[in-house]
Parts: sequence; C-alpha cells; structure tokens
Amino acid sequence: MVKHREEYLVKRNTCLMLSAASAAVIIAAQSAAAQQVCTSDLKILAQPQTGLATTESFAQEFRGLSGVGFQVDYLNENDRRARSQADASIIGSYNVYYVDEANLAQFASSGWITPLLDHYPAEYDFDDFDPGRRATATYDGQVWFAPITGGGDLMVYRTDIFSAAGVEPPKTLEELFAVVEAIHDPSNGIYGFALRGQRGSGANVWRWMPYFRGFGGEWFNVDGTPAFNSDAAVRATETYLRLFEYSPPGTRTGSWDESTGAFNSGQVALIVESAPLGGMSLNADASNVSDKVAFGIPPEPLTGGGYAHGFAIGTRGNASAADRDCAGLWIAWATSKENELRRLAAGQSGELNRTSVFNSPEFSEAFGEALPAALEATSAVTKVNFWQNEKWPDLGNRWGIILEELITGQRTDIQDALDELEAYAIQITAN
Amino acid sequence: MNRQSSLPFVFLVPTIALLAILALTPTLYALSMSFTDRSLFSPDFNYIGFENYLQLWSDRRFLNSAVVSVKWEVITVTGTMILAVGLGVLMFECASPRARNIYCLIFLIPVLLPRVCAAFVWKFAFHPLYGIVTYPYRAITGKPLDLLADPTSALMVVAFVDIWQWGFFFAVIIVKLLESLPPQPIEASRLDYARPWQIHFYITIPMLRAPLISLALVKAIESLRSFDLIYVMTRGGPGISTETLDMYAFSQGFIESGKIGYASSIAVFMLILTIVAFTIIWKKVNK
Repeated sequence: MVKHREEYLVKRNTCLMLSAASAAVIIAAQSAAAQQVCTSDLKILAQPQTGLATTESFAQEFRGLSGVGFQVDYLNENDRRARSQADASIIGSYNVYYVDEANLAQFASSGWITPLLDHYPAEYDFDDFDPGRRATATYDGQVWFAPITGGGDLMVYRTDIFSAAGVEPPKTLEELFAVVEAIHDPSNGIYGFALRGQRGSGANVWRWMPYFRGFGGEWFNVDGTPAFNSDAAVRATETYLRLFEYSPPGTRTGSWDESTGAFNSGQVALIVESAPLGGMSLNADASNVSDKVAFGIPPEPLTGGGYAHGFAIGTRGNASAADRDCAGLWIAWATSKENELRRLAAGQSGELNRTSVFNSPEFSEAFGEALPAALEATSAVTKVNFWQNEKWPDLGNRWGIILEELITGQRTDIQDALDELEAYAIQITAN
Repeated sequence: MNRQSSLPFVFLVPTIALLAILALTPTLYALSMSFTDRSLFSPDFNYIGFENYLQLWSDRRFLNSAVVSVKWEVITVTGTMILAVGLGVLMFECASPRARNIYCLIFLIPVLLPRVCAAFVWKFAFHPLYGIVTYPYRAITGKPLDLLADPTSALMVVAFVDIWQWGFFFAVIIVKLLESLPPQPIEASRLDYARPWQIHFYITIPMLRAPLISLALVKAIESLRSFDLIYVMTRGGPGISTETLDMYAFSQGFIESGKIGYASSIAVFMLILTIVAFTIIWKKVNK
C-alpha cells in the first residue's frame, strides 16, 4: 500500500513538473520575443511562504525572461507590515511589496503602491485568479496586487482524538464549547483549542473578528458613528477570552506560527484558522498529524475571515514606467500558473490562487476530496470582517494591544477596554 | 596662537564637526518634527506647537512606558553591577590567574553574541512547553510555565537576558580592575586577619569607586538602547507591560499609526529626561 502510494506520488509529481516545465517553456518562448524591460536586479519585501521558496528556486527562469535577478527579504507578518509601511512611505528601497487585505487601503490611498494592471503582462491572465482574491485585491475600482495566498477560515480537527472522546465535529459555538471541554486534557499534552493572542490587526484581532461579526457586530451604527463597544463586541471578547482557557501556553502571546505550530505538532485537538492550514496539516514534512486530520466549516455563527495577500508594485522604488513594468513582470511571473503548478507539485496548497489550478485534476489528486470540498464549503461563510478603510491598521493594531492586555490578564474590564477603543475610533474618524 | 595651544583644536574641530553632522542633524530634525502633525500617510503637515507634548500627559500608554523605562533602567543597571561585582570578586578570590583568564574568555561570549540572536535563543529557552529554563518547573509540577506571557514576570525575564549579556562582560572588567590595584592594602588587611568580604567591602570596592560609577553609567546608557532585545522577546507585551519609551515611540511612528510627529515628541521627551537624569546623577556621584 505504501509502495503504491509512493509510486503514485512520484508519478503525480513528475506529471506536474512536466506540465509546469512545458508551460514555462511556452512562456519563455513568448517572452523571448518581448523586449527585456529590466535593467537592474529587483528587491522584494515579503513574509515567509513556503511556496515563495519554491518560486525562488526557479530564479534563473526569471533571469531568462527579464535579464535580471531578484532578492527576496523575508519578515514575519507584523515586522513585514511595519517595515513595508516605513519603507514605502519614506525610502522606497523595494521594487515590490507584499501587501494584504488589511493594509491595502492604506497603501493605495497613500500612493505607496501603483495600480497593477497597467504593468501586468496580459499573457499571464490576471482574470484566472479566484474571483474572491481578485475582489480583495481591488480598492477604489483598481487592482493593486496579484495574490500569493488567500481564502477564508477552515475548521481542522484531529480524527483520532475525536473518535477516542466519542464526539462529533461541532456545528455551533455551543457545541464547540462542549467538544473542547470534553477533549481538553493538558495533563496529557492535549489542548482543546488554539487561538492567537499576539497583538495586531492581522493577529489576535483577526481571529477575534469572526466572533464579533458572527454575533452581529458592525463597526459603525447606521448614523455613521463608531460602534466598537457594542454588545456584540463585549460578547465576542468574553467568548474569545473564555476559549483561551483551552489554548496551549505560548499562544497567549503568539500568532499564526504558534497556534498552527501547536496544532501541527500534535498538541491541539481542534482549531479554526486561515485556510492554508488545511494543506499544511496534510503535509507530512510540516505536520506530525498529517494522517489524522479532517476538515469542516467554522461553527455557526462564526464568519470566516476572508483575506488575500499578494505582491504590489512600489511607487517610490520604481521611478520610471520601465521600472514599474519590470516589477509587474516579476509579480506576474511569481504568481503565474506555472509557478502555482510547481507549488502544487511540492504540496504547498496554501499558495494556490488560480481557478485553473483549483479545477485541475492534479489538485484533486494531490489533496483528495476532503480538503477541496471543505474549502468550497467554507467559501459560503467567508466574509470581509474588517473595516475596509485606510485607518483600519491604526485602529486594528490599537485594539490588538488592548485585546492582548485582556488575554494576558493585564486588564480585566472588557467594557472599559472597548470604551477606550471606541474613544480612539471617534478620535481618528473625526480627523 | 602657538602650536601647543592650537593642537587641541586640530583634534577637536573635525570630531565635533562630524558629531554635529551625525548627531545634531537628526536630533534637530526630530525636535522640529515633534512640533508637527506629520504622519507617514501624507507629505503635508502643519506646525501645531506643543500639542503633541500636551497630548502625552493624557496618554496612558505613554505614562506606562515612562514607568516601564525607569523600572528597566533600575533593574538592569543594578542587576548587572551586582552580578559583575560578585563574579569579579569571586574570580579574584577563588581562581588562579590562569583559570581567571579562561573564565574571562568564557564570560566574554554573551556580549559578543548579537543582541537579536541572544534574544531569540533565550526566548526559546523560556518557551512554556519546549524551553530548557522552564523544564524543571514542568517536570516537577506537570504544568507549563509561560513567564513571557505573564505581565508580572515578562519584564524580569527580559531584564535577566540583558543582565546575562552585560553582567559577565563587566565581571571581566572588574576582575582586571582588581588585579590592577596596588597589592599592599590588601596584603596588610590579610595580615590583620580581615575576611575576604571585609577586604572587598571596605578596601577594594571603595578604591574602585570611580571606575565602577563609570561602568554603571555606561550600562545605564546601554540599557536605554535595548529596543532590539525587548522587541524580539516580547514586542512590548504582554499587553504593554514591557513597552519602554523607545518601543512606544517606534510603535506610534512605524507600527500602528504612522504618527511621526507624535513619535518624535516621545523621542525628544526621552532625550530631555535622559540628559536631566544623567546630569543629576553625574553631579551627585562626583560630589
């Protein structure tokens, strides 16, 4: 059985690599006729993605297309946001920035990035990207980035622990609490649930928002005044803090890495996280529990946090139209179907964004039926939870710090904490 | 002006000119910025007088960060000096000159480690589930110990790493200072049956008063620049329990709100506070 599986994997990877290579040859042939627009090596600021490492290993292919090389500097999410904000606004030492749904409005409205499609070679077919990702990459009627990752939320759980405890995957929040209570067994190294406690609009606030929106929370009242301290916000915060009682140590000040790391190392029975965790948890190289995970949609009334991260052309770092064309070429190449097929061959499902890849037989063969079905099902509950405004990073980060104070016990009065957020929201929206 | 009297100017003028360019320019720029509402998001800004400075006094995070900064200074400087003097005296009393040299070599390693590397290593060592430091607690109680997520212990843990880096280095300096002291007073006190602690408490430490004060001031200045250590280990958290003034200024300027003007006012406040505090301390200890 194992031998058969290995043969299958070898065959599958060979097929995928061959199809990627053939497509790459076609693209290279197309581009050979095109004028090489690049004059100097490109600098890219990104956050770590396993798929990007795969793309980097094909750097020579991009050199063949453009005549130049590229260098990718990696920073984790919070550091990447801080660095890109400082660099894009003042310095401009990068040609390409990794942006996300939460800071897109800020980057676009400040003029730190340039509309993408004017510099995106048509042959790379931007419309092939998943419509949800394309919508997230659009702000003020223009497309600003090409997605490298995205999706909604997925519930991932341990089949062995659930079977042993005789519980079913939860469908509602009440069931979630009951299940988590039943399987939480820290003395044997098993924690019921995992959350993000680290400050940040893309960290603890990101995981808190599905509860807020799920309980009917809105950022603003119908008259346009902020509603950040509503009953829904209080209830969401109470629920979030209650669930943290079942989260492993290290996650109180941890983010995606810590919570998904805890799950993949086998300490956590159930987790609701961003969709790339699905593929990661099936990858035996990255997960100790790859053979005992199953997937589902987040329990009601949680709304999946729709998101997309991608590459955008820096304005300051690309002075001329030719420079922007070069940056656009790199973005198109890095997010091309060919590179997605290479990621698929490497088992990196988190960095796939094209409908042609999702609909390919290779995708079904690589991840079976359960994960693609769960991804499709979760799209029905995926929403944009955050306030889509250039002031969101400021407000979201402010709430992140206050929420971290609540999670770690530095403050205990939830209403007072939300009132402070409300006051800040009134202050910045008045400005 | 004769050659002898012009010589100091020959050395001083280029140095001061370089210092003025490198240090004074950004300082004056920060001072100017602190009177504006400049943000990262717009090239336009207005001069708003002392508004940023007035706002500081109603900002709970600023007030908290000022308290944390003072705590950080007191803990790290005191801890480093106690460790350094203790270890220095111990080496001087108990180790042969050859062994001392070996210890000195080993004790230099922590300070040679890049600050960020040291922070990462210790952060992992304090990990509640995998950390070697927390292992004994886990083994005895069966429960994890998350010191960096506890607002009451996080600052002490980060201070411990700072003291570990600098305390051993200062111990090397102190043992060399002890070796450089004239031996007669020490030998005379030994003949009078003075105990080792009495020798050091009443003779050697008072003899080293001036260099020890200098070391403490050097450490105090160094402690003001611990941004990288705190940033890697806690990012100012949990909550705001390890958020020092420089951390808060950076956060306001580059992480959260892009308020460069407001961040500059925090930096200028920190500069003024440091100058005033160090001047007072310097005058007191020189009396």
